[in-house]
Amino acid sequence: MKIRTMKLLVKEGTNNVVKNKLMSFASILTVVAALFFLGIILLIAINITSNIEAMKRDLELTIFLNVNATSYQREEVVGFIEQKKAAGIVSEYRNETKEQMYDNIKKSLNDDSLLEGFGVENAAESFYLKLVDPNSSDELIKQLSTFEGVNKNNGIGYGKDELDKLEGILKIFNYIVMAILVILMVISVLLISNTIRLTVFARRHQIEIMKYVGALDSFIRWPFIVEGLLIGFIGAVLSFILTSQAYKWLQDVINAILLNLKLSTLRLLEFGPVAFRIFIIYSIFGIVIGGIGSFFSVRKHLNV
Amino acid sequence: MIRFVDTTKVYSNGVVGLRNLTVRVEKGEFVFVIGASGSGKSTFLKLIMHEEVPTEGEVYVNGYSVHDMVHSEIPYLRRSLGVVFQDFRLLPNKTAYDNVAFAMQIVEATAREIRRQVPLALGLVGLSKKARAYPNQLSGGEQQRIVLARALVNNPAVLIADEPTGNLDPKTSLEIMNLLEEINQRGTTVVVATHEKGIVDTMKKRVITLDHGEIKSDVQKGSYSDEN
Repeated sequence: MKIRTMKLLVKEGTNNVVKNKLMSFASILTVVAALFFLGIILLIAINITSNIEAMKRDLELTIFLNVNATSYQREEVVGFIEQKKAAGIVSEYRNETKEQMYDNIKKSLNDDSLLEGFGVENAAESFYLKLVDPNSSDELIKQLSTFEGVNKNNGIGYGKDELDKLEGILKIFNYIVMAILVILMVISVLLISNTIRLTVFARRHQIEIMKYVGALDSFIRWPFIVEGLLIGFIGAVLSFILTSQAYKWLQDVINAILLNLKLSTLRLLEFGPVAFRIFIIYSIFGIVIGGIGSFFSVRKHLNV
Repeated sequence: MIRFVDTTKVYSNGVVGLRNLTVRVEKGEFVFVIGASGSGKSTFLKLIMHEEVPTEGEVYVNGYSVHDMVHSEIPYLRRSLGVVFQDFRLLPNKTAYDNVAFAMQIVEATAREIRRQVPLALGLVGLSKKARAYPNQLSGGEQQRIVLARALVNNPAVLIADEPTGNLDPKTSLEIMNLLEEINQRGTTVVVATHEKGIVDTMKKRVITLDHGEIKSDVQKGSYSDEN
């Protein structure tokens, strides 16, 4: 196809969008709604994933020594941790001596009478490890539990299992998102297809004339495809603006709530860093929805 | 130029359009196709344009085997034909000039070619001064002239007209027919399906009379009365 013909076809398609204001508006609105809904779900998924990752990074592997662990047994454990740190498995660690633990308990209880009969000698020393890769925890726990000085009764703790469960739920959530996505796409495609069908109908005389004069199929079809692509893209841009505004508002509200609940480690991500990704996803979906919608319509109703 | 060989067309509802029709139209001829409603005139034209395909037999137009044509060849067949309809079929939102130019844009003519050819075509049909007028600002006769200009602008080898004067008064009809004759004298083959007795009788051209899908008569310099 020659460049001047392409220009002509793009111009025709653009004119169609303007001429069929009402139907174009309805189709654009459909795309906006579908993508907005998709975007919100997508942003929720991104936020949950990112917060789980952050929580995982903040997780500490807790090791309690036996109350009566010998200094040799303690050194063994420290040596093991140091070795893992040198190997790049443990990023950092701290420990809480018997005395510190006793003080902490004392502070938290705020009532000395409750500690009657419980002395420093009853407190256990503990170690808190941050892991480079949370997934290495299982192996580490297995190795640590072989040490004599380590308390075998719930002496080693790591919150990863709970997070894994959360991730499992997230996976299911992702499948639901995918399903909703497909449904939204089908609805959008059908609606755009309907708009184009009406355009095809409105222009049937022109199409007929084009056929009699010897227009190639592509010449007849492209303006409609352009129209669909344009509707999809305009819808994507508008939806992106709407999503960014809605998200910023939501971000303020939710972050304030999280702060009030003293859950400051959890927070909604900034829109800026994900904006480009969201815009690209919207544009691709908008264009694909518009393109497929008009393609089907043109194929079905334009018997050229 | 146009050749029907034992051509039969039966529509899906069982109606027979043409029955074992064999006929030949040579290059540069002017032919009237006449007959009552349902005689097969429209089917005859539709088969030439590949709007319909024959059920049996062969149709050749401008070197194309229309009966076994692949879809992608159809536009090229149609570019070798100019088509004129009773109801004009102009684009109402385009000027006379743009309506004619549109036919050239479709076949991907250059802007230069369009600027050269469109005024020539409008001049040929005597409407140079109405180039900027929209169809609803033109009379029926003028609209049909624009259609003729559009049909001619790509220099087709064959011009097909289906009841071209059906919506026009007798005087204007005659003007259009004179124009068709002029076009024919320039070398274009012209095939006109019509009901207009007066015109057929006046013009003394070849007349093919169809009846129930068959040729009832085929007379050189014929008249409408030859039908009977």
